[in-house]
Amino acid sequence: MKTIRAFMARFGGLFNGRRRDWEMEQEFASHLAMQVEDNIRSGMNPEEARRVALIKAGGLSSARENYREQRGLPFFETLLQDLRYGARNLRKSPGFTAVAVITLALGIGANTAIFSIINAVLLRPLPYKDQDRLVQLWETEAAPGTYPFAGPDYLDWEKQTKTLAATSVYTWPMGVNASNSGEAQSLVLIQAETNLFSVLGVDPIVGRTFAPDESQPGKDHVVVLTYAVWQKFFGGRQDVIGQKLELDAEPYSVIGIMPRWFKFSRGEVFVPKDMSAKGMHERGSHWLLAIGRLKPEQTVTSAQAELSTIAKNLEHQYPDSNDKIGATVVSLKEQYTGDNRQELFILLGAVALVLLVACANVANLLLARATGRLREIALRAVLGASRWRIVRQLLTESILLSITGAVVGLGAAWWFVSLVQNAKTLPIPRANPIQVDVTVLLFTVLVSVFVGVLFGLAPALQASNLDLGEELKSTAQAVLSPSGWNRWFRDGLVVGEIAVSLTLLAAAGLLLRSFYNLRNAPTGFEGSHVVTFSTLLPQGKYDDLTSRRRFFDRLLEGIHSMPGVDIAAIASELPLEGGTNGYIKVDGDTDPAHRQMLVEQNYVTPDYFATLGIPFFSGSNFSPADMDREGAAEQKVEELYKQNPNLKSVPAELSSIAIINRVMAKTFWPNQDPVGKTYRNGGRTFRIIGVVGDVTVGSVRGEPMPEAYYPYTRALVGPIAFGHLLIKTHNDPTAILPSARAQLRTLDSSLALFNPRTMPEVVADSMQDETLQTWLLGSFAGLTLLLAAVGLYSVLSYLVLQRSREIGIRMALGAQRTDVLRMVMRQAGTLTALGIGLGLFGALSGARVIQSMCFGLTARDPLTFAGVVVLLAGVSLLASYVPVRRAMRVDPMVALRYE
Amino acid sequence: MGDKSEVWQGTLALMVLKTLESMGPQHGYGIARRIEQISGDQLSLNYGTLYPALLKLEQEGFITSEWGLSENNRRARFYRLTRTGRAQLKKEAREWEQATNILARFLSPEEQG
Repeated sequence: MKTIRAFMARFGGLFNGRRRDWEMEQEFASHLAMQVEDNIRSGMNPEEARRVALIKAGGLSSARENYREQRGLPFFETLLQDLRYGARNLRKSPGFTAVAVITLALGIGANTAIFSIINAVLLRPLPYKDQDRLVQLWETEAAPGTYPFAGPDYLDWEKQTKTLAATSVYTWPMGVNASNSGEAQSLVLIQAETNLFSVLGVDPIVGRTFAPDESQPGKDHVVVLTYAVWQKFFGGRQDVIGQKLELDAEPYSVIGIMPRWFKFSRGEVFVPKDMSAKGMHERGSHWLLAIGRLKPEQTVTSAQAELSTIAKNLEHQYPDSNDKIGATVVSLKEQYTGDNRQELFILLGAVALVLLVACANVANLLLARATGRLREIALRAVLGASRWRIVRQLLTESILLSITGAVVGLGAAWWFVSLVQNAKTLPIPRANPIQVDVTVLLFTVLVSVFVGVLFGLAPALQASNLDLGEELKSTAQAVLSPSGWNRWFRDGLVVGEIAVSLTLLAAAGLLLRSFYNLRNAPTGFEGSHVVTFSTLLPQGKYDDLTSRRRFFDRLLEGIHSMPGVDIAAIASELPLEGGTNGYIKVDGDTDPAHRQMLVEQNYVTPDYFATLGIPFFSGSNFSPADMDREGAAEQKVEELYKQNPNLKSVPAELSSIAIINRVMAKTFWPNQDPVGKTYRNGGRTFRIIGVVGDVTVGSVRGEPMPEAYYPYTRALVGPIAFGHLLIKTHNDPTAILPSARAQLRTLDSSLALFNPRTMPEVVADSMQDETLQTWLLGSFAGLTLLLAAVGLYSVLSYLVLQRSREIGIRMALGAQRTDVLRMVMRQAGTLTALGIGLGLFGALSGARVIQSMCFGLTARDPLTFAGVVVLLAGVSLLASYVPVRRAMRVDPMVALRYE
Repeated sequence: MGDKSEVWQGTLALMVLKTLESMGPQHGYGIARRIEQISGDQLSLNYGTLYPALLKLEQEGFITSEWGLSENNRRARFYRLTRTGRAQLKKEAREWEQATNILARFLSPEEQG
């Protein structure tokens, strides 16, 4: 209590110093006057009285000093004084200050930016209530990986679980045509069990979320909007509740608006999911996602154990559909961050290295400067400053420098973060917004203070450790010749910088080459002149095969007749964007591996192969007659299933035809011609009529997967009529989009054109992760290269300046300019070679860290390393150029007169 | 002057508190005179010792000060004991007494023998 009070009083004493000084003087003066009066009264003459009183008072200036020290907080006062002094000093050498501040701003800014991502993605808890109890639920299959839920399985889990307090099921995000009077626009819709928001523990900012009975038909036309959709469609109006939003041509009442930060599975509008048996589909069809909330005393492990048991029971109960179907529970946080953890830490490591190099550079500058300031420091030491006091002064100056750098760097980070925020799609899954918040600011402050000490300590210690007499006596020349330790230290810094930049360059080079490999990896199709968009038919308006077919036929026809169009097709899946898949059975095939082999399914029009330039290896394409027959057959199959949901197999006359890819042919019918062979899938029998080339379905990184193509008309039967249009043109494919949009609108004005992109853009979209990583790491590496070059340049310039007298003498004694050249180049070469050697050692031994990010080459790729070494050597040669020229121009007469 | 003892801070604080208790509100010069007199002029207080000590006591809340007029109509800063100051004085006086008692016993001739 007493100390706090005293502290506050002393803290107050920091301010208003002038008035307090005046009071002190007044008090001293009145003391002195009273003393003089008393002395006179005791018989002294006035002069004597005053003299004695002054002696009694003691040293007045030291009394003032003591008093002031007691009045305020000496620590802070010194700090303020040092700051003022430091600021003045930095202002005096604007060139040095600018270089140092920019260097530090780059380093600290890059760190702040990356940390703001890490903070949002890894550090901050998910913005949901008791987020550590939220889990993502998955099913597992025979093939490795996690899989979506089959509706009935989910209902069983939900009913039986005792470890989860609540579960909620929702669909993958899907496109929807949305409008509230005006043109239809595409939005991302999620159908969710009515309790989704309460399981997440998020409240709407306006209105309410779903009531439990709103999953029932008749009551289910209600919609919850994200903040962005509210702004876009309703201008953020408060009276939005009860307003209508048309989704796929059906009116929905807006009931609630989610908070601005709310992000969930890319959804923009949320509607209640039909939870009836029909709405959940059959048991073998895996298409739903689910989350759960653990009961307080339960853990991910206990939930995992329980759900595995439930899945085992279902396996026994429904051997046909649930064979090898298991369960996986992942904490939601893990689900969001799992894949990105390593990449983010690699990026953080990279920016930390950038900062380290920036520090080394500034330390180097400070060392050079401190040497120039030795006389000033010596003078201060002579006047009584302790060594600690001098170190403190110099450290305050360097921290001032780093804080200034941090402020500028924060500006840069802010810009970067706003760039990230505005990026339409970012390959970083996150529930938290990426922003510069208090944690990030704190991080920046800590980093900048730490950095200030890091680069300031060595120069400060070195500067304060001097022989006073020598320094004051010495000439400028002597002052300029630093101790051996200083030389070593500065050389060491440059070697370190070169080593670090080599490491980063190698990493960036590997990623760049991997990226190049990815971009040039065979995808199996030729899409340079192909543009694609998607369209989705509302169920209500287009409820049968005939109406849907009529729509798509007319759309294709219209597009075909547009000028510039070569050929066009419709497919249910696009290359590189994943797809739907299933298991097939080949009669007589007993290989167990084949039973775990997923086969991708794509429903296409016959021209699909020609549009994407996919070659036929044997057999034939679908004919127009095939399209008609298959559509009709699928409709009959659908009717049969309606009559008997447990139908085991479809009559032979309704069997289908398929075109398969080469991987599928080689996998299931090795060394045979598969044309004419049959296989079964989901009760239907398929006859193979052709074999085509492999097209990459998922990531380019993966092996090609077995894929089967079916006539598109089959996909038009069923709940969703969705299609990707692919249009091949003679010229610029994007030029066709406006007329394609017009074509769509003339057919039906309630339809939106979804996701228009060229195929090269589709390829680029599939590599967003890699693009971002390569871009970031590449710029970090470029930054360190630049910093290292500046570092080498400054060390060499300094060397030349130091030794210009020696050079002058040598030249006066007959040394050639080439000798001088050799001398400086030897220095540059030694430093570069040492740095490269050290960097190679570090990079090669740390290579496995980024092995998983490499594609088409190992992390010790010799070509990359050779290239990086050559690049670094070249850059350091360039950095030595100016100092070398300066050395060669040394005029012996001037150098000798330098004294 | 050289033979007069220097006063150290803790003791000085106690003396100041005691002086203010017995004399009531008093200015710095008065406090210094009083302490010097009671010590039989064995102590001498210069400004550099006295005023930081007064300031410290004030910061700790044991005394307060305000400007006023001295007996000779001179502007001076008067210090006054606060309630916590009074309590502190009691506490410190007791502690000091104990300490001197112990030391006195320690240094008495019987103990030495």
